[in-house]
Order: sequence, then C-alpha cells, then structure tokens
Amino acid sequence: MVIAFSLIRLSPGDPAAARLGAGAETEAVEALREQLGLNKGALEQFINYMAGIFRGDLGVSLVNGVDVLETIQRTFPLTLIYITLSVLFAFIISIPVGTIIGWSNKATAVYIFRGITAIIIATPNFFIAMVAILIFSVQRNWAPVFGYVSEFPENLKYLWLPIAINTLILVAIISRVLHTSVVDTREEEFVETGIIRGVSRPRFFWFYILKPSLAPTVVLMSYMMATMLGATVILETIFSLPGIGRELVGAVLASDYPMVQGILLMFGVITVLLSFIGDLLAYALDRRVKI
Amino acid sequence: MSNALVQIDSLRIDVKVTRTRRLTIVNSATFDVEPGQLLGLIGESGSGKTMLCRSLVGTLYRRGAYIQSGSLTFGGTDLVNASPKDWRDIRGKRIGYIPQSALAGPNPVMTIGAQMAEAIKQGEKMDNSYVRARALELLEIVQIRRPEIVLKQYPYELSGGMKQRVMIACAIAREPQLIVADEPTTGLDVTVQAEIMELLRQIRRDLNTSIILVSHDLPLINEVCDDIVIMHAGATVEKIPSEQIEKTRHPYTQALYNSRIDLVEPRGKLITINGQPPTVGDWPTGCRFAARCDYAQPQCSADVEIPLATVGTKHVSACIRQAEIWGK
Repeated sequence: MVIAFSLIRLSPGDPAAARLGAGAETEAVEALREQLGLNKGALEQFINYMAGIFRGDLGVSLVNGVDVLETIQRTFPLTLIYITLSVLFAFIISIPVGTIIGWSNKATAVYIFRGITAIIIATPNFFIAMVAILIFSVQRNWAPVFGYVSEFPENLKYLWLPIAINTLILVAIISRVLHTSVVDTREEEFVETGIIRGVSRPRFFWFYILKPSLAPTVVLMSYMMATMLGATVILETIFSLPGIGRELVGAVLASDYPMVQGILLMFGVITVLLSFIGDLLAYALDRRVKI
Repeated sequence: MSNALVQIDSLRIDVKVTRTRRLTIVNSATFDVEPGQLLGLIGESGSGKTMLCRSLVGTLYRRGAYIQSGSLTFGGTDLVNASPKDWRDIRGKRIGYIPQSALAGPNPVMTIGAQMAEAIKQGEKMDNSYVRARALELLEIVQIRRPEIVLKQYPYELSGGMKQRVMIACAIAREPQLIVADEPTTGLDVTVQAEIMELLRQIRRDLNTSIILVSHDLPLINEVCDDIVIMHAGATVEKIPSEQIEKTRHPYTQALYNSRIDLVEPRGKLITINGQPPTVGDWPTGCRFAARCDYAQPQCSADVEIPLATVGTKHVSACIRQAEIWGK
C-alpha cells in the first residue's frame, strides 16, 4: 500500500493541471491543488488517506469526483466473473489432462503436451488475444471485436473470447504443474500398496494419484487467480471491457491518485485472501502441507 | 512335485528401457518357499531382489518390467500368465506385501483407519463395524498402543517404526499364506529393527505364514530366517539353511559372510569384496562373480550357465569349483 501510494506520486504528471486542461491559469491550478489536498506534504497526505481507509472511505476520483469505492463496486464484478470462470474452466480441463498424461507416461504424448504448453506459456497474452481477435472476430465474425453489454445472455457474446484466452493460458500452466506432481506421485511406494489393496479404479485415482498430487496445483491456482488480476489490465484494454483493469489503466494515465491507490489496495487484499484460501485448501487435501 | 507354496524356476525378468532396448534384471532365479517357512533373500543392490518381490505381487509392469521366461507358481496358480482376476484373488488376500521403505509405504493423504479399511476389504463390501473392529484387532497384533487414536491419525504423525507396524498390520489383514517383506527395516534404527523382526517371527508362528524377507544385511537374515537364498547379479547362487551359513559352498556367500563387520576384531581392517558388482543387464558370461572371486579360473567364465547343484540337505549352490575348493 505504501508502495502504491509512493509510486503513483513519483510518476510524472499533475492531476490538478490535467483536470483543468492545458490552457488553465497557474492560480486556478494552485487553488484546485489546495482544494484536493495535494499541496500538503506526502506524509500528511498518507496519514489522511490511511485514516480514510479505516472509515471505509477510499476517497473520490480526482478526475470526475466519483467515489472510488463505488467505481470499484461498479467495475469489479465483471472482472471477477470472467476471472472466476476462466479459473474454473481451467481447473476442470487441467485435472484430467495433467492426470491422464502423467499417469500414462507415453513418451510421445508427453513431448506433444510439453511442447504445446511451453509455446502457450511463452507467448504473451496480448499477442494470443490479438491473434484470437483476428481469427474469431475479424475473419469468422464469431465474436464482437470489442465492447460490452451487461445484460445476461447477451454479455456472454462479448465475454467468451477473453475467457477462452485466459482459460487456455491457465490450462497450460496448471496442467504442467499437475503433470509434474502426478509423475512424482506415480513413482511413490504407496502407489504399490494401493494396487495391492485392490482398491477400485476411481478410488485409486483419487486417493493414490490425484489427491497426493493436488496440493501444489491448488496453491498455484490461488496464486494464478491473483496474477490474473494483473493480466486483466491488458486483456480488458484489448477487448474494451469495462472491468476494473481498464479502470486502473485510465486512472494511471490521468494521475488519478485515489483511484489507483484504491484499486491497488483491493488487488492487494484479494491476493492475500486468495493465497490464504489456497493454503487452507491445500492443507485440507494433504496434511503434510505446512501453513 | 513338492508341496512348496511358491515355486520359482529359472525366472527371467526384463525391463523395457526404450522402445527397442531391453535390460535383463533378473536372469535366473530358482528357489521354492515351503508353507510356514521364513526365507531370507539376500544380495547387493541391483541384484534383482526388489524386482523378484514385485513379480510376486504383479506390479512389475509399473516399472516397465515383465517376466521374459521361466516359471513362477503360487499355491498351484501360474503367476506368469495370471489374469487380472487371478491377481485380485491373490494379491492382498493370499499374498501380503510390506513395502521397501517404511517412510513412504503408507499413503500420506489418508488416515491410518481408511488405509487399513482398504487392506481389510480388498475391494469387497463389508460391514463398517466389522472393519473397524478388525482394524483395532490388527493394530493390537502389531503392538500399537492406543489404536483408537492411531486410526484417526495421518502417517506423518507416526514414527517410522509405527508406520512399518501399520504396514505389517495391512499386510496380514487377510491372513495371507505368504508375506513378501521387501527390506522392511530400511531407515529404521537398530532397536526398532529388532522389534519389527521379532514381530515378523511372531506372525509367522501365530498364522503359520510363509515370509520372504528381503535384505542386504546378512547377520540380520542369518539371525531370523530358517533358510537363506543368496542372489548375485540377477541370479540365485545359493540356498542354504541359516545354521549352515558358515559351511557355505559358494565363494560369493563366503565373501559376504566374511565382510560382516561383527566378525572383525575391534579396530581391525574391514574385509570387503573386491571390485564392483557387474552392471545391471551387462552381465559377464558364465559365473558372474568370477571377476571378483579369489578362486576364479578361466573355465568359470566360459559361456555356459552355472547350474545350481545340490550339495547337502536343503542346500544348493551354483559354483563349478565347489568340489575342488571345499572337497567332497
């Protein structure tokens, strides 16, 4: 939070001048600076800001005077929906992919799997997004190039492509980690005892292969969900989705101090919360995990 | 035909390394296990002991290994060509298995109770209260204190010795005719090791189970077992009653016996076996011990299999020069 507070103030640009436009008088800018409390020392500004947070007040936008908390409430649900859906789909796809390839251990399948996932992970997400737009939106016209309608069935038309891209990237990362864990697990001695105990196939796959392998994947997923927040900044800008990532880009460009601080603060809180949930889940699955 | 429980004859186990490359891990294993016998199987690392054990529980395929030739029967059932159904009837029910490492044997993500329930049920439907009672009874047999609490615990909460006791309890859950114990005391300290050995002896006595005890520790095997099978480089070279180990007819067994630390005078020079065991799969012709043997002669390395010859009661040995070396 301190870092967010300092960084945005260190970046060039004066919000007061920006708000009044290029032709503004120096006196008018000074007056506005005083009105917004920007003429005070950085430490005093910080203390005021902290005091506000504890009162549930994240301040108002310097650009249009809208309450920061309200802006977050308006833009965040969209981001949350498509991140959650991406992670959910990625999880559903990664589990069988990672487990089956890890368990079968067919050399050719492993090479193909590793090759494809490495390419996906190495490609920047904006590049994948632009190629996807080119193919699905421009050539095939299966999805709108950009824009958004917030009504329910209609909005899926705008959301499916960003979700698909996110899911693809997540699947590559998550299934790779799961694959490695499964390969480690299958070499373990206790797998032998599972076979000898004559456990049924579904039980065997869950208790002897998947469950012992899942802890690192779950921790990674919670981390990935937090990382996705950062990635939304790029994807929302490309697809022009009115989510929180695009709001953040706009706020940074306009030197909208309270808005940037408020969004980054929320990102921070969510990241901590998610990693805590991830650790708890990992512990529930595998008691060897230390919290 | 004898009434042996397990008959292993010229068993050869190969492993698939790559698509075209095969490695022979066990070249010729030959020995029988009598009902109620406590048999020690001893050999250096890479001599094929573990693979031999796995062939008895049908999990060779997990390491890409398979039986290339020879025969392996258990209680009249041919295990070389056993169907999945045969294995379901045998594995866990008639043959129990105690895994190599006590620490990695139990499933880390299941409670002891859940694992024991699986071992007791063996995929069959059973009444829960019966399963629980049986689990408690088994834990008592393996002398675990406060079994009710242990049932709810996870393996990481138990000491190495307790884990291995649990694994033994699982192995004897269905009162099998044979228990394969693959180095059951690796990684346990000496006092615990002695307790586990005593426990195995007691189980053999109470259940009249045959036990194949695998180890590389000759004094230990000599102490607890009735008979000892010595493996070297993928082949059984001698089978001898343990009380006759001093009268061995095989140079390798003799070398193993002489390298016992407890036979050396205090601060005396430790006796080792010259050289290294041959590389797995890259076996020399003839006697595979010839390169390290003090008695070796050119004819030892001729390209013929060295047969196991009967040299005494319950005593077979594979050395073409034993008559010359030890007299008749």
